[in-house]
Amino acid sequence: MSKNEIFTKLNSIFRDVFDDKTIMVSESTSAADIEDWDSLSHIILISAIEDEFGVRFNMKDVLNMKNVGEMADILAEMIGKHIS
Amino acid sequence: MTLTSFSFFVFFAVCILCYYILPQKIRWTGLLGFSILFFVFSSPPITGIFLLGCIIVTHTCCMQIHRFKKTDPGKAKGFLICGIIIDLSMLAVLKYSNFFALHWNAIAARAHLNASVRIPDWPVPLGISFYTLQAVGLMADTWREITEPEHNIFKSALFIAYYPQLTSGPIARYEELKESLFRENAFSWTNFTHGLQRMLWGLFKKLVLSARLALVVDGINGDMEVYNGFYIWIAAGLFMLQLYTDFSGYMDIIIGASEVFGIKLPENFRAPFFSRSVREFWQRWHITLGAFMRDYVFYPIQHAYRFIHIRKALSQKIGRKAADRLTTGAALLCVWFLTGLWHGGAYKYIFGWGLWFWLCLILGQTGEPLWKKLRVFFKVRESSFSWRLFQILRTFILVSIGNIFFRAGSLKAAFRAISLGFTSADNPWILFDGSYSQFGLSQKEVFLTFAGLLILLLVSVLQQSGSVREKIDRQGIVFRWVLYFMLLFAVIVFGKYGPDYNPADFIYRGF
Repeated sequence: MSKNEIFTKLNSIFRDVFDDKTIMVSESTSAADIEDWDSLSHIILISAIEDEFGVRFNMKDVLNMKNVGEMADILAEMIGKHIS
Repeated sequence: MTLTSFSFFVFFAVCILCYYILPQKIRWTGLLGFSILFFVFSSPPITGIFLLGCIIVTHTCCMQIHRFKKTDPGKAKGFLICGIIIDLSMLAVLKYSNFFALHWNAIAARAHLNASVRIPDWPVPLGISFYTLQAVGLMADTWREITEPEHNIFKSALFIAYYPQLTSGPIARYEELKESLFRENAFSWTNFTHGLQRMLWGLFKKLVLSARLALVVDGINGDMEVYNGFYIWIAAGLFMLQLYTDFSGYMDIIIGASEVFGIKLPENFRAPFFSRSVREFWQRWHITLGAFMRDYVFYPIQHAYRFIHIRKALSQKIGRKAADRLTTGAALLCVWFLTGLWHGGAYKYIFGWGLWFWLCLILGQTGEPLWKKLRVFFKVRESSFSWRLFQILRTFILVSIGNIFFRAGSLKAAFRAISLGFTSADNPWILFDGSYSQFGLSQKEVFLTFAGLLILLLVSVLQQSGSVREKIDRQGIVFRWVLYFMLLFAVIVFGKYGPDYNPADFIYRGF
């Protein structure tokens, strides 16, 4: 799966979780850019991403990912491993 | 020895001197030595066994977790569970055995069993609630490979027992503290002056503001049969301010003292009274406890396999959004139960304070579609100042009500206080008719408290756009020194001392 495809999927997950059809995520999008993205919604977002991509983040990733770019990098690595 | 006592300031001055006389490479050992001395001076010496036990167990388990994590994860997990159980058991036995014994005796009496136990009276080590959480966090972070354990046990000991934060936090994570704690800190004039300024600011909050607010709060809470009606709500609001000036003042002293050594502790408050919801309030108030509960309780529950399966099953029946809300609510209930329990073995914390905030969060979250409709119906302009002000006041009132449980002697007393708040016809006029003089405050002192609270508000507003101390640094030398001396004289002249008030009584030191 290409990085672009990952971002497209992430974008639709973000829109769905935060109930906001105007969201457009980019590499640098972080919790500071989306009003409702706080510690409570973060774990719901993580679960929705895990369901959609069929992966499971470890707790280190859950706690340390700073923006959508890092999220996409981790996903790309996990999907890559999964495929290989 | 408390952080506002004269003996502490002598101790602190000697510590600074020794710290900077020692060769840079081993300065942290000086801090360890002074931390041991501080503990001996401040806590029953016998309780040192438990602190030592916590250090040895935590260090050993961290080393073993790190050793086996890759080769034998099962064994590593065993050490993690073992370490957490031992550390938490020490906390549970020493802090909660009274609570459990009282309940056991009540059950035994009700069942007519001759099995009552003696109510234990064990000495509790200073800061056990705080250092236990740091130790648990260290083991969990080692397991999660967020941090690498310290090979030198004396370094682990300093992280757990570092004396400025031992009494009341902030609850730091090893990964964020280790660098400044163990690096070769050179003397820095900026760190030194900034640290002392922050300590002075903390003393101002504690001795000038909190001490006076305490007089009114204690006066009203001490005789609610006389002071009821509107007095109850005044006491609730003032207690919120007292708790903030007391606890955040203590944090300023602790963080400022650490800054003098070049050590950066995490912040525990971020202008909490500007919060527009209870949810936001808890992101700005006692931040490090909230972060601990989020990272080591809330996320692990929400991310557990079984919990995910439950959520998926619920999603199929009631829809994903509703399932998310339900499971988040259940995980939050665990968080608030534990947060309440952490504050003390009493129903007022667990079922009063904890449950109230859980309820506020749940209503805020699940009720959002309804609140949204109401906002649309009333044509609320969400960006307007009046709406934001309303949200801030609403949040203040909600957290003040929650803290009635915190302040009350028991759960029953808290409900009694709330009911008394509605029984009398007293009106807000008591704010202006000199009623406060009954609690030992002169008109001058009331003026002083108001002026102090306004300064606090001004500083909080200035903090929104960066460090206030850096802003002061950019001013001329005369302005700066006039400001410092004014603050110093305010603490010395207006600080509440004397037989009626014990500045050693920090609210959070009791935990």
